[in-house]
Formats: sequence, C-alpha cells, structure tokens
Amino acid sequence: MIDRVYGVALNTFRESIRDKVLVTLIIFAVLVMGSARVIQPLAVGEEAKVIKDLGLSAITLFCVLISILVGGRIVYKEVEKRTIYIMLAKPVRRWEFILGKYLGLMAVLVVSLVVMTAAYYVILLIMGIGAQLYLLLAVLTTFFQLAILTAVAVLFSTFSTPITGAVFTFAVYFVGHLTRDLKLLAAMSPSPVVKVASYLLYYLLPNLSNFNIRAEVVYGAPLDPYAILLSGLYALVYTATLLLISATVFNRKEF
Amino acid sequence: MSSPNEPVIRVVRLSKVYRSGFRMKRVQALADVSLEIERGEVFGFLGPNGAGKTTLIKILMGLSEPTSGTALVFGRPPRDATAKARLGFLPESPYFYDHLTAREFLDLAARLSAVPKSEATGRVTGLLRLLRMERAADAQMRGFSRGMLQRMGIAQALVADPELVILDEPMGGLDPIGRKEFRDIIIDLRERGKTVFFSTHILSDVEMICDRVGIVIEGRMVEVGRLSEILTGDIDSIEVTVKGVTGKTQKALERVSQRSIKSGDELLLTIRNEEDVDRVLAICREMGGIRVVGIAPHRRTLEDYFMAHVANAGGRRD
Repeated sequence: MIDRVYGVALNTFRESIRDKVLVTLIIFAVLVMGSARVIQPLAVGEEAKVIKDLGLSAITLFCVLISILVGGRIVYKEVEKRTIYIMLAKPVRRWEFILGKYLGLMAVLVVSLVVMTAAYYVILLIMGIGAQLYLLLAVLTTFFQLAILTAVAVLFSTFSTPITGAVFTFAVYFVGHLTRDLKLLAAMSPSPVVKVASYLLYYLLPNLSNFNIRAEVVYGAPLDPYAILLSGLYALVYTATLLLISATVFNRKEF
Repeated sequence: MSSPNEPVIRVVRLSKVYRSGFRMKRVQALADVSLEIERGEVFGFLGPNGAGKTTLIKILMGLSEPTSGTALVFGRPPRDATAKARLGFLPESPYFYDHLTAREFLDLAARLSAVPKSEATGRVTGLLRLLRMERAADAQMRGFSRGMLQRMGIAQALVADPELVILDEPMGGLDPIGRKEFRDIIIDLRERGKTVFFSTHILSDVEMICDRVGIVIEGRMVEVGRLSEILTGDIDSIEVTVKGVTGKTQKALERVSQRSIKSGDELLLTIRNEEDVDRVLAICREMGGIRVVGIAPHRRTLEDYFMAHVANAGGRRD
C-alpha cells in the first residue's frame, strides 16, 4: 500500500515540479520579496518590520496560489487526459490514488516553501535586517494552512472543473479567514436564516485565521506554543476528514 | 484465487444505459451481453465505432459500473485489486504524463503493479528495447508522436508480465511496421499461454491473430465464435472459369449461375453451391469443345461477414 501511494505521490511531485506554472509562481514570490527595497523608504522607522511582514505574506500568498492552481486541476487533469484509465487499471485502490495525489502535491508545496523561505532569509541578510529563526514559526503555520487548503482543492478537483474548483477553493480560503466575523454575525443578526447560515458556515469551514501569526512573529508579541501545536492537530484532523470525503466521492465516480 | 477452469473473463447479461445531454436522453450502450473468455485465448472484439466496445472494456476495468448484469475478471469483481494485479490494460489513444520520461513512467507502472524492485529495471529496459523506444527512454513524453505513445501504452500494459492483457484499439496510431511488431507481440503472448482480449475495427489484424471473435453492433453481441467456424462454415460462392463457349451453351450455363462475366473467349461464372458446380460440369461435358480452366471457391472474408451484419442492423433500425 505504502509503495503504491508513494508511486502516485512521486509521479505527482515530478509532474508538478517540472510544470512552468510552479516555477513562475516561485520566481514571482522571490521578486515580490526583493521588491521590499522599493517600498522601504515609505515606512519610516518600521522598515525592518514591513520587509519581514511583506516577505512572509508573499510566501503565504504564492503558496496558496500554487495550492489552488495546481491542486485545483490535480485529479481533473487525470480524468480529462484519461491518464486515470492507466492508473486505475493497476492494482491501486482509489483512496490510495487520492492520498498519493495529495501527498505529492504537499511535497511540491514543501519544496516551494523551503525555496521561498531560503530566499526570504537571504534577502533579510542582504538588507542587514535581523533574520531571526522564530520567523520560521509563521512559515510552519502557513504549512498547516496549506495542508487544509490543498485538501479542499483536491476535493473540488474530484468533481468540478479547474476554474470552478479554484474559485470555490479561493472562496473557502477567503471566508476561512473571516470565520470569527461569521460567529459574530450569527450572534448579532436578527434574521434566523442568516443566523443558521452563519453558524453552519462557521462550523463547516476551516478556521484559517488561527494559522495567521505573522503579526505576532514580526512585532515580537508573545506566542503560545500550545496554540501552535493545537493548530497543527486541527489541520491534521480537518485534512484527514476532507481526504476521506474526497476518496468517497472519487470512489463513486464513473469514467 | 480463481480455480484453473474458471474463465478469465465472464460477462453475464450485461447492460449499460447512459443518460446524456441536457435532456438526459437514454443511451443504451450495451444490451444483454454475455461472454466467456478462456485461459490462453486471443479474443478479438469487433464492432464499428460507437458499438459499445469501449463501454464493455471500461466495465471490465472497473472504470464504469454496469446498469445490470455481472462482469467478473479471474472470478472477481473488476475493481478488485487482486484481479488487476494479474492483468495489463491499454486504453484507446493512450495519453501519459507530459513531464515524465518514458523510463520514469514505466518505472511507475512497475511500482504500481508490484513488480519486485530487483526485476523492475531489467523489465523496463527490456520493454523499451522490444518496442524500439530505447533512444527516447530519457526524453519527456510530451514530445512523443501518437505511435510512440501507443508503444508506451503497450509497454506499460506488459510491465508486470500479466496473465491477461486487455487492449482497446491497440493498432490505432501504428504504422504498418508497428502493426506487424504488435502482431508479433500478441503471437508471442499466446505462445506463452497468456490471454489476450482486444477490440478493433481493423479486420485484417483479427483474421491473422485471433482464436475467437465477438462481434458487437449497437450494444448487442451478434456473434461469438471461432473465426474458422464463422468464415469457413459457409463457402460464399464458387467461381468457375470456362473457355470456348458458344452462344447456346452460354445461355444454358447462365441459367445455373448467379452471375456471369464474359471476357474474350472466357466466361466467368459465379455459382451458389457444389451441386450447381456439378451441373455446370455436366453441361460442359454434354456440349463438348468447352474447357474448364478454373474452379475457385470464394470463402467469405471477415469483412464480408462484418458488413452483412452491419447492414442488417442498419436495416432493422430503419
């Protein structure tokens, strides 16, 4: 089983890492981080923090884009190009295929994160700004967030076209960062329909704002290590649930 | 495990109905198809485009579910991984991963089919050589021609040395040399006791390599049998060529013939059966001065057979 999942994952990794979309996105991310030099004079006294924050934001944004753009067509592409016929003709179970696809894509995201983070630290060092190791915590929580988002993208990819999938995944990402407001809305709204809908979305959608600790690491606010650990566990459970749903949907699919 | 006498493929009263289009129009892709393929057979699955060949193959591969009826491969449901471990599959117009090299892809196929690592490299290299893909082994497949992709498709189907090989239109995209090589591969598989099930609409290939054929038209299996039974069971007609015919004799001969063609002093007669041949010979002896220069039985080719069935189906539909 492990061998088959690894096979599918390795294949997905190779196929994606050689794709122009990925390389383009990584180059753009590095360019954005480097462009901090241009905006530096605008923020008097806060240069270092702005540059640190901008770099971390760029890492998150571009990895989210990779997750949505590459993840959103990862299963669809196999169906469209009918490579799925060949894969499923092998003694590979359908859930193994979905898991392999997901892990392959996560490997791509890890490589992207590593490359971007390395570039980030190089830029910080070149600019003579302290490149503290604790900034990595923000990269770690970004990774947790990507784990969930990629699982969302893979789920949409099992039944919708890449564009629809990308739009919905982006919507999940966007609303996922506003779930606290959803809860607030549910509490305050007089309309029962809005109340129910808001609560439903609040409990259904991933709470992604938990993973955003950029401000804390950049401005040196105190961080709770248990909260980070807990957010990791949350990501694990949420991701596993999504993959289970994806495998169930995929299992019922006819080609 | 299936018993040794278990058919490799068993299809019982299989039907498949699709709903397609905006108005969910009902399309009957397969209707009540039954079929058994024995171990070691080379079975040709024939039919015009859209007859239901690919639908049946998809069901056998577990890619699609039948509306009713059962399909078993090695006595197991098609989705069963133990059944899949024993078969190789080539889909129609196969397409692979653009950014993988030929060797990487075959390595993947070997890994997914649980080929032991110690054997995989040798197996992959051997297949690349067999299919004359050695020079392209380390090139990414996005630049491959249709024929090269077809060869890769055959290679990945054979990588686990399967007992059963299912091929959907394997000759598509191959040039005459490629087709000859492919026929040799099938003959080699048969000699090694493998079972081959393949669909095609290229009849000459079937006549050369199949033990049995099944003909499917509009989702129905209209004929299953040994090629020799289907084709030699009935001699379609007999052609008799005679020389030195006069006007009166010609009339007498034409009376017992289906058709006649006069060319110079030769007369070509198309005769229905052997009794009529005796009558022709009797006439020739009676009249004298006539020489019989040729008697040739005209056997039905698979193409004649096939065309007759397609025409019948068309007639029923109209």
